Amino acid sequence: MHKIVKKSPNRIDGYEKVTGKAKYCADMNFYNQLYAVTVYSKYPHAKIIEINTKKAEEIEGVKAVITAKDIPGNNIMFGRFPVLAEKEVKFVGDGVAVVAAESENIAKRAAELVEVRYEELPAVLSIEEAIADGANKVHEDLEDNIIEHSHYVMRAGNIEEGFEEADIIFERTYETQFTDQGYIEPEAVIALPDSYRRGIEIHGSIQNPYSIRENVAKVLGLKFSQVKVIQSTIGGSFGGKDESVMYMAARASVIALKTGCPVKMVLTREESLLMSCKRHPFIMKYKIGAKKDGTIIAVEDEMYAQGGAYNNKAMFSNWRGSVHAAGPYAIPNIKTDIYGVYTNTIYCGAYRGFSSPQILFAGESLIDELAEELNMSPKEIRLKNCLKPGDEIATGQILEPGKIPAPLEQMITDICEKTNFDNKRKRFADENNGTNPIKKGIGLSCTYRGCGLGGEGIDTAGATVTIDKDGSINIQSGLTELGQGMRTAHAQIVAEVLGVSLERITFSNTDTSVIMDGGPTVASRGTLAGGNAMMIASKKLLNRLHEQAAKMLNCQSTDLISEDDLIHHLDNKELYVSFDEVIKKCLMGKGISLSAQGWYTPGPEELSKETGRGNAYPTYMYGCAVAEVSIDTETGKIDIDKVTTAYDVGTPINPQIVIGQLTGGLMQGIGYGILEDVVEENGYLKTLNFDSFLMPTIKDMPEIEVILYETDDPIGPFGAKGVGEVGIELVAPALSNALYEATGKRIRKLPLNLERVLLGHSLSKGGQK
Amino acid sequence: MIDYDLLTTKNLDSALDYLDKLENVKLIAGGTDLLVDIRKNVSRLHKIDYVLDISNIEELKGIQKKEKYIEIGSMVTHNMLTKNIVINENFPILVDAAKSIGSYLIRNRGTVGGNINNAATCADLVPALMALRAEVVLKSLSNQRIVPIENFVIGPNRTDLKKNEMVTYVRIPLLGGNYYGCFQKIGRRNALSISRLTMVLLTKIEEETFRDVRLVSGAVTPYPQMFTKTIEVIEGQPIKKINIEDIGNAVSEEMVSITGERWSTPYKRPVIASLIKRALVNVIKEASDNE
Repeated sequence: MHKIVKKSPNRIDGYEKVTGKAKYCADMNFYNQLYAVTVYSKYPHAKIIEINTKKAEEIEGVKAVITAKDIPGNNIMFGRFPVLAEKEVKFVGDGVAVVAAESENIAKRAAELVEVRYEELPAVLSIEEAIADGANKVHEDLEDNIIEHSHYVMRAGNIEEGFEEADIIFERTYETQFTDQGYIEPEAVIALPDSYRRGIEIHGSIQNPYSIRENVAKVLGLKFSQVKVIQSTIGGSFGGKDESVMYMAARASVIALKTGCPVKMVLTREESLLMSCKRHPFIMKYKIGAKKDGTIIAVEDEMYAQGGAYNNKAMFSNWRGSVHAAGPYAIPNIKTDIYGVYTNTIYCGAYRGFSSPQILFAGESLIDELAEELNMSPKEIRLKNCLKPGDEIATGQILEPGKIPAPLEQMITDICEKTNFDNKRKRFADENNGTNPIKKGIGLSCTYRGCGLGGEGIDTAGATVTIDKDGSINIQSGLTELGQGMRTAHAQIVAEVLGVSLERITFSNTDTSVIMDGGPTVASRGTLAGGNAMMIASKKLLNRLHEQAAKMLNCQSTDLISEDDLIHHLDNKELYVSFDEVIKKCLMGKGISLSAQGWYTPGPEELSKETGRGNAYPTYMYGCAVAEVSIDTETGKIDIDKVTTAYDVGTPINPQIVIGQLTGGLMQGIGYGILEDVVEENGYLKTLNFDSFLMPTIKDMPEIEVILYETDDPIGPFGAKGVGEVGIELVAPALSNALYEATGKRIRKLPLNLERVLLGHSLSKGGQK
Repeated sequence: MIDYDLLTTKNLDSALDYLDKLENVKLIAGGTDLLVDIRKNVSRLHKIDYVLDISNIEELKGIQKKEKYIEIGSMVTHNMLTKNIVINENFPILVDAAKSIGSYLIRNRGTVGGNINNAATCADLVPALMALRAEVVLKSLSNQRIVPIENFVIGPNRTDLKKNEMVTYVRIPLLGGNYYGCFQKIGRRNALSISRLTMVLLTKIEEETFRDVRLVSGAVTPYPQMFTKTIEVIEGQPIKKINIEDIGNAVSEEMVSITGERWSTPYKRPVIASLIKRALVNVIKEASDNE
């Protein structure tokens, strides 16, 4: 029985946030601090002829103006991102100079005085343009516009033979849009010259401190350890506070070392939307072959992800995409090719889901289209084909019973029963024959998702747990708290292992100088990998405490158990010593260390990057969703009546946080499905604030029900799986499928906005889209 | 960046005095439009030297029922409108229009005077006020004039306001019996939504016949305007003879005759037709329920 885990105590960092006491980076100020403002490109693609900073430098209060020539080390960071563009600008968010001044206002004014002469170059603005024969190139040194290492394949069975066996074959193309994470806090960074040694200290709204450290060190020509990155409290990230803060940390650090002053850089919302990463737009061409009875025999797909001007994510997100391209179905013959392409547009990176929202929209629309062609129900076709225990996934990995749970079939059956799916489908179809312009629909979608990084990289994570003389226990993770509740989950894991109350636990922010680089906080791995590291560290401490307690109680340490802040004998509860007494004995009596590091390394995965075959992820999670909608067929307005989702989460460490994550993901999924659209025209971004980049508000929130399934999963701490991303990906296809049920209109491009619902296509000043 | 000095006063006369003596003054009340435009560095604001805050002028925050009209102070906020009993009893379409604006926070800040003065294409109160034949009371240090709102709003973000004047009150003539109205708004989301389309229909239905029809659509024409040709089609028609399809076509045609074919026309043409049909069905039903 768990005492702390599987309960929902308050967040351990909730007090500071709810009372406004937590300081965000923009709240912090340092003596002698300068404010830095970036001068951005005027064109999507142009040669830089000359940069004249003289007028800006002459303004009183301006302390430095830097351009690419002031970068002491590498100007080019991971993914080809230049700290500042030197010879050429490749998108409108490229920085060409940075002005640092005594006040933000002076810096802004001076930035307007930096004169840049450009010679405009033809720009590559879309996937179609990027892959066309004879296309202009975004990067002259490359053969074409395909992003390096972004082409992944999946080959299962024999695709030609598969299609030969099929009774029905058809092809469909789906497209998705640029979207922004829309976090409340715009990016902020402060770089401080190290007071004690050669080096730099960086505070910021940073998702991945270690990659920032590595890139900034190379930019400054310093050793990694001479750059110290401390994560500030963060106001949302969802994958987004990565490349943008890398730019900012590098620019601010260069000026900090040049001037010897702390340098603060805070983006406006407009700058944040202009220069932070978006979710990759996809074009997805699918061909599917099935038997008359609905058995899917073959799926062939070719996908393109628009990467923008620079890219350090498509090579990872596309790999994830290649594993999941054929969906949560057992299909014998699969051929997948997925590419990332460069364009002279805003670049794309991580945004909750990491290729799955795009691919799920296509795949789960496709399977409904197949059901329609075969005159089957969306439920029937999914039950027939979905992954079941013992099945082989696209990579050839077996969902071995006892090792990798596969409860999807039951989940689909349950959610359809719970939502009265079959009856409502029939009833809505009848009612929709009437004259009421409001038509109702119900739609289904399902997914499976590889847990952790899998083949993207080594899923390591580090943690330090330290017990003090007063009995308090401080935890520090190499992974970061992003508002997802990771810290609280970690605290619950530590308290559970040590058998103590949660009140003892305190936390420190992530600091790269304290814990070894265990990789980024991505891929829903905060609880999975980070929690395992906490578990390892806690178990080391528990052993030390039990050894000491055994001596105090005159028994074997293996006979001891910790619970309720006591360490007692397994068979005799009266034979006990308090946790605090043991600590005092260890620290003051015996000089035993009560600080332990945990380092989690997952087992090696066997995987071929050439064919995609092998064990892609250690385990998988599953989900399904049912959306019920009312469509105003005379205005195109979608009213969402209810969304029901169900997820297999292994063991929920904190069920309330898990439901919170899945609900938040659901709302973001609604935004992705019907509203959010970063509009670019000729390479210029049109949606530069939240009046034009629309996200759902509380008034758009439908009735929501989230159902948790618990499975026995051997990988995560106490059997937990990561839930950060999976909540977002099912919504858009469920809505689109419900829209089809209501109106008979199949829309193959997101978002499902007013114009698309009414007319079947979108409208813009530039024409149809 | 737009530079300005901020002035503030609690007194109407001193506000009018500032307007009389200073050049390039822009008035601010709730700031829900102006602050956004200043941040966007909108070119029509480049010339301002002063921003004069009039939101603290108490005498402009009242709603009073007079013999023939109701007088609304220009500093009355949208939320003050929606909560006012007199307005709810007399002009429910104005309440519906005010409720559709922004969010609760925006409605706490934004004012009637601001909505009229900003005269945005998508202003939500203006179509309702036009349908109600509201008059705008304009004061300067030495003068007062009263202008029908239809003549006051003369273009997108353009009004007949003279440089030394401010809008002090809006007067809405009391309607007699048998008036029925309908306000509709189409936005992309359910709050904080800039109108894609609004429509206000206000009409008397007497002896089962449409009389004194007023029809204004917002966000479809460069600035809210009366749809006079469509009104002519409806005016004087008996309910039973009304052809809803024809009126739908008429309103679409009239919209396109004003705007020409624009990028958004393929969407707005069918939708505005649907809105007038719904509005008609709605008022006819209300009238028959009332019998």
